[in-house]
Parts: sequence; structure tokens; C-alpha cells
Amino acid sequence: MLPIHLFRLLLLCFPASFRREYGEEMVRDFTEQWLEARRSRTRPAFWLRSISDVFTIAPREHYHVIRQDVRYALRTLRAQPNFTAVAVLSLALGIGANAAIFSLVHKVLLELLPVRDPESLILLTDGVSSGFSTGSISGERPLLTHEEFVLMRGQSGVFAQTMATYHSREPLQVRVKGGEAEEVSASLVSSEYFDTLGVPPAIGRTFTADDGAKPALAVISNKYWQKRFGGSDRALGAPIALRRATFTIVGAMPAGFFGDTVGQHPDIWFPLAMQPEVLPGRDWLHDDPATLAKTIWLQVFARLKPGVPIEQAQAQANTVFQQSLSAFYASAPTSEMRREFLDQRLRLRPAPMGGSAVRENFGEPLLAMLAAAGLVFLIACANLGNLMLTRAMARTREMAVRQALGAGRGDLARQWLSESMLIAVGAGIIGLLSASLLRAALLRLVPSSLHLPSSLDMPVVLFTVALTVLAGLVLGILPILRTMKTSHAGLREQGRGVTSSAGWLRAGRLVVAGQVALSLPLLIGAALLARTLDNLRHVDFGFATGNLLMARVDVMSGGYEEPARQPLFERLHERLRALPGVASVSYSPHGMLMGGDSGDEIEVEGYVRRGGGDEGSRYDLVGPGFFSTLGIPLRQGRAIDARDRATTAKVCVINEAFAKKFFAGRNPIGHHVTQVFGHQRNTFEIVGVAGNARKRSLRREIEHRFYIPISQPVDVPERVTFAIRTAGDPAPMANAVRAAILAEDPHLPISQIVPLASRIEEGMVQERMLATLSLAFGAVALLLAAIGLYGVLSYGVGRRTNEIGIRKALGARETAVVALIMRESSWLLAGGLAAGFSLAFAALRSIESRLFGLSPLDPGAYAAAALVLAAVGLLAAWLPARRASRIDPVAAIRYE
Amino acid sequence: MKVEYPSPDSLLPLPAATFHILVALADRDRHGYSIMQDVAARTSGKVQLSAATLYSSIRRMLEQGLVEELRDSPDPDSQDQRRRYYGLTAFGRKVAAAEAQRLTAMLSQARETGLIPKKI
Repeated sequence: MLPIHLFRLLLLCFPASFRREYGEEMVRDFTEQWLEARRSRTRPAFWLRSISDVFTIAPREHYHVIRQDVRYALRTLRAQPNFTAVAVLSLALGIGANAAIFSLVHKVLLELLPVRDPESLILLTDGVSSGFSTGSISGERPLLTHEEFVLMRGQSGVFAQTMATYHSREPLQVRVKGGEAEEVSASLVSSEYFDTLGVPPAIGRTFTADDGAKPALAVISNKYWQKRFGGSDRALGAPIALRRATFTIVGAMPAGFFGDTVGQHPDIWFPLAMQPEVLPGRDWLHDDPATLAKTIWLQVFARLKPGVPIEQAQAQANTVFQQSLSAFYASAPTSEMRREFLDQRLRLRPAPMGGSAVRENFGEPLLAMLAAAGLVFLIACANLGNLMLTRAMARTREMAVRQALGAGRGDLARQWLSESMLIAVGAGIIGLLSASLLRAALLRLVPSSLHLPSSLDMPVVLFTVALTVLAGLVLGILPILRTMKTSHAGLREQGRGVTSSAGWLRAGRLVVAGQVALSLPLLIGAALLARTLDNLRHVDFGFATGNLLMARVDVMSGGYEEPARQPLFERLHERLRALPGVASVSYSPHGMLMGGDSGDEIEVEGYVRRGGGDEGSRYDLVGPGFFSTLGIPLRQGRAIDARDRATTAKVCVINEAFAKKFFAGRNPIGHHVTQVFGHQRNTFEIVGVAGNARKRSLRREIEHRFYIPISQPVDVPERVTFAIRTAGDPAPMANAVRAAILAEDPHLPISQIVPLASRIEEGMVQERMLATLSLAFGAVALLLAAIGLYGVLSYGVGRRTNEIGIRKALGARETAVVALIMRESSWLLAGGLAAGFSLAFAALRSIESRLFGLSPLDPGAYAAAALVLAAVGLLAAWLPARRASRIDPVAAIRYE
Repeated sequence: MKVEYPSPDSLLPLPAATFHILVALADRDRHGYSIMQDVAARTSGKVQLSAATLYSSIRRMLEQGLVEELRDSPDPDSQDQRRRYYGLTAFGRKVAAAEAQRLTAMLSQARETGLIPKKI
């Protein structure tokens, strides 16, 4: 009968156990009721009632079953507190590590910019570069000049909106409402900035094109508004004094808005047109064709016109860009030079996530760390899956009894799933809580100046939930498979009847070997990265980095015109040299390893160009005593000293790399080097050769370079960096140095005072982060592998008590028993290690770019990791082996 | 084995279906369909228990110890020996009585306030 069939179908909504218990009765009673309804002609009402009842009651029955399962699982887990604790904590570690790293990955690599329609934002620049450079940059343009931005803004055929931004890397000193001087982070933005991003202010207004040519206005961030004004409307109209100008606050932005670039958090936005007031000393808004030098400093964003593909916009932008370059470089002295100048182009790229230097620097390491954390999670799951399997084997009888009492396989599977899910949920909760601690520890490895963004928000919680569910399922699989194969025969399985478990024991061993295999690449990676960090720490700088304080002063922003700068340098030099505790002082524009450099085309006397980077050279302007203060050895000739004045003959000192490249086999002393840029030509006589010293990067080869006296500059420097050699620890000297500089002029902007050693350590942040984390992950993996091995072997020994007893009764010695168990575990370890080596071989090439001073196949790292893993593995195996050897034969044979 | 039951009051108020089933089983043991019929008859067809409601309630009542399943059919001559019969436990009887008293008390409160006539 059709109605009966329909009702049977409806019954499928109920849990299987309920159907088994009451299904037939329900069908029988339903049939009777249906016949009666047919007789009384109330069939529609009867159907309605039956169906609605099924749909309201079936979910309640499911809930009931789940609640029962959970209660039973809780009881079982509570009865084995040690197992539960190990399971929950080891999984929590895996989940927590993943959640912590994902919180960073999400913010740095995945999150869209919190602005209107971020998907339609594009960048005309690289979104990564910051700071400014003067001169020209060949190839793809990282940044644009202000005039180039204005040109692009005019391309209304392809761009619907355009905006330009500059973030000051160094903090600015401001006074709000005439209060104390305070340091703020600031950006200069074009008047269309906030409109283009489409973010309205929380209060007040933002900049508009109607603000006039010199709009002394400021918009503040939500954080600064809360901190400085307590979120009050009184902020509007408040004056901000910066250098010699006063700005008026016209608006405050809403919470969550941080601008256009991940990792930057400006407190204040100033109009771009106010550059001469915010960063005085030079006009960055106009390029002078006479010098052929452009001031390249702006990141430029745009939104495409609807229907315009990015390729078309790029072609159009490059056409007008090329035209403007042709016009600008029309007066280049030679056609070759002109060709080089014209070799500049724009690349447009989608920028839904905004710009980010953090993404560039930390993207790859973060993904590597996420991969390592994922591996730890996998190992933790394998480990627990194995422990669960061991428990499933130990509980064969219990399961068989429950089956005999009427429980279906589905019921037993659900039971295992409840247990594994409970463990996973416990681990997920602890993992999420510990993620915030792990994240804090992680961020402590990063200097606060880097602004690595992260937060434990919704996506991180969802990620954790997904991991938790995955872990629950994975953990449940092995015991469920095992239970599916169990029959009532399990009731008979005891003592000697171990054969049916042998296959599962093998599966368990395979999992342990797999764990060993997965742990090995982690350990090798950790060894490689730790040695990289060590290699970097022992890099030969070519000068003594200890007891050296670097202090950078932005003399241009301090309002010093070019002729006044040289005397200022000398006066500051005198003041610093007179400080107690200072052994010697020298100076140069950029200092060492502090960022910033100069370079130009060169001509070397008696050298014919062969290519390979010999057309140009980097150079430094240095004060007297530069080499002796830094401890750069002089190989030949003399150093630059006080006798080199603006009026004396132009001289230079070259480094060894320079001598090797341009004077192989010749004596460089007395030869000449000519610096060329556009119409500018300066020729210097080589008076000395200095040792190679690292100026830019810890990793790269030291490039050829020459040093010229700062008194005979190519261009008068805009800033100066003092290198102060101290008698003791340089850090406590910072205040005295600051005071000495401000005693000369209290308005001098000091952008940085930092011991060089800490600066170098900061530069190794990614390496330190990677090495620390991979060591931590490696240690966890090692611990988990040991637990896994111990668990499986312990269980195996327990199952073989009887066999071992017989062996001993037949005369086997204790050492033979230990050897028997150890031999088995050695095979297990050897198999795991072999697989691990292949995995490491394949996977670790991907971190090659992160390594320094060793190859990704470094035999030392491989051997050390394998040895540690083998030693820990054998220790984990030795404990059960020793227990096996002490088995009393009589007791064992009686053991059933 | 001595089973400890909670206080009957702790289960009150009972769901309507549970109380109807307890009342149906008060005079004799019945199988499922007989319970449905009895409830319908005593409520003049106003309460019609569906199979889903009935067996979900019975499952819970068995767990709570309000009813028990009988091993043998109370009527050996019955043609339907396959039917499963349920009977009231002593605890079930106590709970039913407690619920009846609760309802009576509520009824008299309603009478006191004049919501319904004091005498019918």
C-alpha cells in the first residue's frame, strides 16, 4: 500500500536505533490509524498531523541520541584521565599553533582592504616601496613623482578615480593645542584620497579638491582620536603644530580604517599639497628637467572606469608616461643616457588588499610557518588516531558485547565519533584560548615598529572550528573502521587470540612510521633555519658592530639650507665627540645597515667596460675618521681625513671589491673615478683602498663601492647619520647623544638613535621567527612521535605478554627480549626515516631562499635531525622493551 | 537491583501526551494502538496521538521508569501476540497522581477567581 510505503520513508527521519526499536510498531499502528481515517473520510487531516509530528519529533530523537552518546563518551573519557589529557593537550597544541599563525596569515595575506569595493582598486606603483629617491629608476617603476601622479589623474578615459599617498617611515613631532611635543605616525595624501577609498569620516569631513592650494588641514585616525581626544567632537577644529606650520583637524576616521597599506597605521593624514610644510627643505611636488633628477616618492592607486580592462588602462598609462619622460629627458647629454632614462614603465596591478611591505617581507615566511604548523597538526592527528586505534583494540570485547546486546555498527561508529569529536572540541577550545598566547609570543619576536597586524576575529574562529571538525573526523576514522570489522567473534578474543588484531597493529605501526616520516622534514627544516640564523649572526661585517650607536638627524626637515649643513655636521661632530664615554665619532648620510644608499654611473680610468654591473657603483659620503671609527681596515694608501676640504683636490677611497673589479693586477692609487648623472660629472683621485664592509644586506655579496669626503659631495646630503663608537654598552648613551644634538638646535628632527647591534638583530626578524618556530614545531613533532611509538609498542608488548612469557620459559634471556622489541622498533624507525628523507628532499628546496651559508641538502642538518629522531624513538621503544623483558613467565602464561 | 527514582514532583508538569498515556494505562495494560484509541475515545476525538508522538513519549517514559514493557501479552487469547504491551509502574502511578493533583489545584484556583463556574 502506497501510504504505508510513504510512512516507511518518513521513518527514515528518525535515528536508526529508534527505528530498530519502534519502527515496526509504528508502521502497524499507522496502518490501523490510516484505515480508520479512510473510513471516517479524514485522511487529509490525518496525513497533515502525521507528517508534521514526524518533522517535529524526529529532530528531538536525534538530539536525544546525540546527548546520550556524548554522555557515554564523557564517562568513558573521564575514566581514562591520562589518555584524555594527552589527547586533548597535544591536539590543542596543533590547533592553537595553526590558529595563531592563521590569524597573522589572514590579516597579512588574505584580508581585503576595509574600504568601499576593494576588488576594483588597482595600483599604478608596486604597493611595497616606501621612502623617496631622487634621480631615475630604470625598469618597472616602484613609485611615481607628484607630476607623474597629476598626469595619471588626468587620464579620465581609463581611470574613474585616482589617488596618491606617501607614508612617512619616521615619526613626526607635533604639538596638539599647544601641548607637549608628541610623536605621531603620518601620511601625506592627495585630496581625492578618502573619496577614492570611499570611507566617510566618523565625524567632521575629509579633504576635497576645493580645499585650495595650501590646505592646512588634518584628518586623524580613530585610534588617535580616542587616545588624544577621548572620541569627543572637540577634536574638530583643534590645532596641530608641526614644524613651522599649524594644521586644523577637520575630521576623524571610523574604527577599522587604517588607510591604504597593511602594516601602516597613520595617526594623522595631511594633504599632499602641504609637503613643503610637513617635510620641508625641498620641493617634492615639482621635478626640475634641468637637473634630470625626479623625486620619486608616491604610491598611486586608482579605480578603473567601468568596462575598461586593466590591460587597456596600462597601455594608455604607459603611452602618456613615455611622452612625459621624452619631454623631461629631452636635454640628456648623450643619446645612450637618454635611452637609459626612457627605459622606465608602469605596471598596473589589482590591489584589493591594498599595499603592503609586510606582505612582501612576511608573506612567504608566514606561509612556511603555516605549512609547518599544518604538519604538526597532521602529526598530532595521526598520533591520536593511533592512540584511539589502540583503545579500539583494547575495547574489542566491550564493543562486541554492545553489538551482541543489539547495538548496530552505526551506533558503535557514532560512539567513537562522539569520543573523537569531544576530544577535538576540547582541544579546539583550549587551542583557541592558547592561540592568543601563542600569537603574543610570536609577535614578541617581531619589533613593534613593524606593525605586524593580527587579530583573533571571526575568520580565525571559523578556521579553528573547521580544524576541530576535521580533527574529530580524522581521529574517529581508524577506530570506526576497526569496529566495522568487529563481529561477535570479538567476544571470544582474549589472551592468545591476538591474530585478528595483528592487521590493525600493523596499521598502527604504519601510522607511527608515517609520523616519523612527517617529523623528519620538520626537524631538518628547523636545523637548517637555526643554522641559517647562526650563520647570519656570525656574518663577517668587515667592521666591528659592537659598541656602536647610530644617530640619524634629518637636517633638511630641520630647515637647514644646503650651505648651512656642512658646518652643522661639523659642530654636531664636535659636540658628540666631547661626550664622556664616546671613543670616537664619524658620520655619513646613511650610516651602516640603516637603510638608504647612493649610486650612479661611473667611469674608471684605464678600465674598459665589459658588462656585468660595471657601468655604475654605489658610493658613500664620509666624514673624517670614518674608517677608524667603524674599524674598517685600510689595505693601501690613506683614509679620508680632516685635510680633505671643499677647496682641496677631490679624492676617494675604494673598497677591495672595487679594486678587484676595476684594477685587477693594477695599483689603483693615483687613478681616477668619475661619477656621472645627467650633466653632472665629478672626478676623484683614488688615495686609498679599504676593506670590504657591509652596508646594505647581511645576505648579499658585498658590492663594489667608493667613499668620498662629505666635504666634497656630489649632492649636499639631506640627512646625516652619526656612527658613535662607545667605550661601553651603547644603549644607555642614547639619551646623552640626543641631548647633545638638541643642545645644538632643539628643533633638529632626530629620526633614529639605535645601537647598530640591535638594528642588525631587528633585520633578522624573519629568520629569527622562522628558526624559533620551526624549532618549537620540531620539538612538538618529536614529542608526539615519541608518544606514538611508545603507545603502539606498549600496546604490542601488552598483547604479547603470553608469547614473551613462553619465550622466557623456553630460556630466552632478558637481553634477547629487549633485542626482539628493539629490533622491531628499529625497523619501524628506519622505514619512517627513509620516507622522511625523501619528503625532506622534495619539500625543503622551497625554503632555499630563506637559507644562508648552507644548502637545503646540508648533510649536517640531515644527520643531526635523523640522529635526534632516532635517539628519541629508541628511548620511547626501550621503555616497553624493558617492561617486556621483566615479564614473569609463570604469570604470563597464566595471563588470559 | 533497587532502582532509585526521583521525586514524582520533579517530573511535573508532564507533557500532555505523557499524561494522556499514563491515564490510558491506569486501568489496564495496553499496546500502542489501544493507547491511541483510548485517548481518542476519552477526549471525544479531540486528542489524536500520532505514531511518532506515541513512541517518542513511550521511549522517554520507559527511560524515566513511568511505564514498563510487558514480556507477555496480558491477553493470552489475543490474536495479535506480536504486539508490544506497556503497563504502568508504581512510580508511574505516583507521577500520574501527582500531576492529577496539580491540575486539580490549578482548576480550583481558576474556580476561586471566578474564571469558571464553581459548580457545574
